[in-house]
Amino acid sequence: MNLIFTLLSTRQYLSKEQLRQAIADYRDSSQQAFERKFERDKEELRELGITVETGSNDKYFDDEPGYRIRRDAVELPDLSLSREEAAVLGLAAQVWEHAGLAQDSMSALVKLKAAGVTIDTDVVRMAEPKLSANEPAFDAAWDACTRRVPVAFDYRRPGQDPSRRHVQPWGIVSWRGRWYLTGHDTDRDAPRVFRLSRVVGEIATDGAPGSYDVPDDADVQAAAASFLPSSPDRSAVLRIRRDRGQGLRRSAESSRVVTDEVDEVVVPYASGWDLAAEIASYGPDVVVLEPADLRAAVVDRLRAAVRDAS
Amino acid sequence: MNRSGQQVLRMLALVPYLQGNEGVPVAEVAREFGVTPAQIRADLRLLMFTGVGEYAGELIDVDLGALDADDVVYIRDAEFMQRPLRLTPAEGIALIVALRTLRDSATGAQLAIVDSALAKLESAVGGEVEAPVGVHLDEDDESIRATIVDATAAGRRLRLEYVGAARDERTVREVDPRRVFVEQGRRYLEAWCLRARDLRFFRFDRVVSAQATGESVEDRAVAPRALGDGLFTVGDDAASAVLDLDPAAHWLIEYYPVDELAAPEPGDGRRRVRLFASDLDWIRRLVLRNAGTVHVVEPSSLREDVALWARSALAAYDDDDPITQE
Repeated sequence: MNLIFTLLSTRQYLSKEQLRQAIADYRDSSQQAFERKFERDKEELRELGITVETGSNDKYFDDEPGYRIRRDAVELPDLSLSREEAAVLGLAAQVWEHAGLAQDSMSALVKLKAAGVTIDTDVVRMAEPKLSANEPAFDAAWDACTRRVPVAFDYRRPGQDPSRRHVQPWGIVSWRGRWYLTGHDTDRDAPRVFRLSRVVGEIATDGAPGSYDVPDDADVQAAAASFLPSSPDRSAVLRIRRDRGQGLRRSAESSRVVTDEVDEVVVPYASGWDLAAEIASYGPDVVVLEPADLRAAVVDRLRAAVRDAS
Repeated sequence: MNRSGQQVLRMLALVPYLQGNEGVPVAEVAREFGVTPAQIRADLRLLMFTGVGEYAGELIDVDLGALDADDVVYIRDAEFMQRPLRLTPAEGIALIVALRTLRDSATGAQLAIVDSALAKLESAVGGEVEAPVGVHLDEDDESIRATIVDATAAGRRLRLEYVGAARDERTVREVDPRRVFVEQGRRYLEAWCLRARDLRFFRFDRVVSAQATGESVEDRAVAPRALGDGLFTVGDDAASAVLDLDPAAHWLIEYYPVDELAAPEPGDGRRRVRLFASDLDWIRRLVLRNAGTVHVVEPSSLREDVALWARSALAAYDDDDPITQE
């Protein structure tokens, strides 16, 4: 702290020796201990996001380099937040249900309050989304993405033994409450998406921070879109009993009455496999008229269910 | 960041905060900073050993008399730090991702507020900030979402047409909205259901239509439900079944509340679980949906039920079945 305060209060660059004289803890240490403490403190400042400038007071003389902190570079600028913007930031600080990130949000908020921002979340009323992250691998994955650190980990796909994967992380994505890591799989030399809950054990660092580039076109959302449902490109014609099959009716393109009991419903879809599963779950209430391959897929599934019970 | 790092960050924010709030009660400082009053006192004691030098006037001075007698804080000789530090990249990313998540649920005028807050926040971060983090929420109808969020904010009663998750039915009900939240990537409305005379959760993507009735919500003294209560937790009245899962169905274990049991024959890749749900009908649909890879062990009534449904469904594929006749 004293190092921060001393460097903040000087306009001049202070040499290492001047700093040692100015700060009691440094002065009372041996030369070696001082060097060690000084390096450690500089590293701590870096972690706090404080850049210590090195330079010289006199550009014509090659004297010993000095240190200073530029106020405008480290002080929080005046953000001129409106009441509503401040309230939105207050709500944002309540989004994380994850110890470390809740703490980070909170200490960001504390800085705003210290700058005189009044935060009254009652000013705006909006949905209160929550983000949690229960995967043990989350913290390491988050850190690797934000600092661009190559990683290695054991990854278990369902029904298979874990295998070692080497990845240059691009980003992480939350979908349906689960976290996924996207990146370049260096063994397969291709982009891959990994579900963090399937990571076995620890994520190990596998290189230096910033040692690779994230390709410009590696939009994290787009990479993750590979496991998101794609847009429907086909339609199925279904016969559905009146008032049944509500999940299917919700996405219907059109519907017409066939008899007192039955409607004919046209449902757009992308994956025949998923739709066949959905239709089978309704049993006799939903029957496929066409296409034939969907009809066959549903019949296969139902036969499997009958076989199971006999 | 470790604990002492957090303390340093807090103390660095305390210095400008206390200069801007002379005579503030300790309890209020603790509330604003999200820590205990004892922690604030400990921070203050440490602060007195810091400054730009070690002589009087160079060290931060805390008025201990006022602190002990009146529980209020005055500090002096801290003019060298009157503004807090910029946000660290870690703080910035945490808030930026949270704001993006808020934005995903915002409608209308709220969007502009979130966007300008995001832009200002990015300028408050020291150093470069990259937030390679995406939050993807399930699609739902934007006009339905706007209707629900607006009615919730204005305290207006809603008429919802809703398709329940457990039973295959569509209902129309009037509800008094209480709040909107996101859980597991999906938006929900918590509302008092006038039909059930109880609090209910409604998933946005299951709402077929939403309309404000024009009435205001009634005040009811109902304790808010803890997030997750009755939504994803297993109730006492839950139904359950023992299922064998082929490898292709092992993903179910990650998705639904199950207790894993000893595998029937170790080595064949099947896993045995007890799966919990609101009722057996729902489990029957799950088994039919995954027929061939999910096998019912018990209860035997469920096994027979699954077979009965499958047989009668297959009968409908015979050409002379009434459902396919015009």
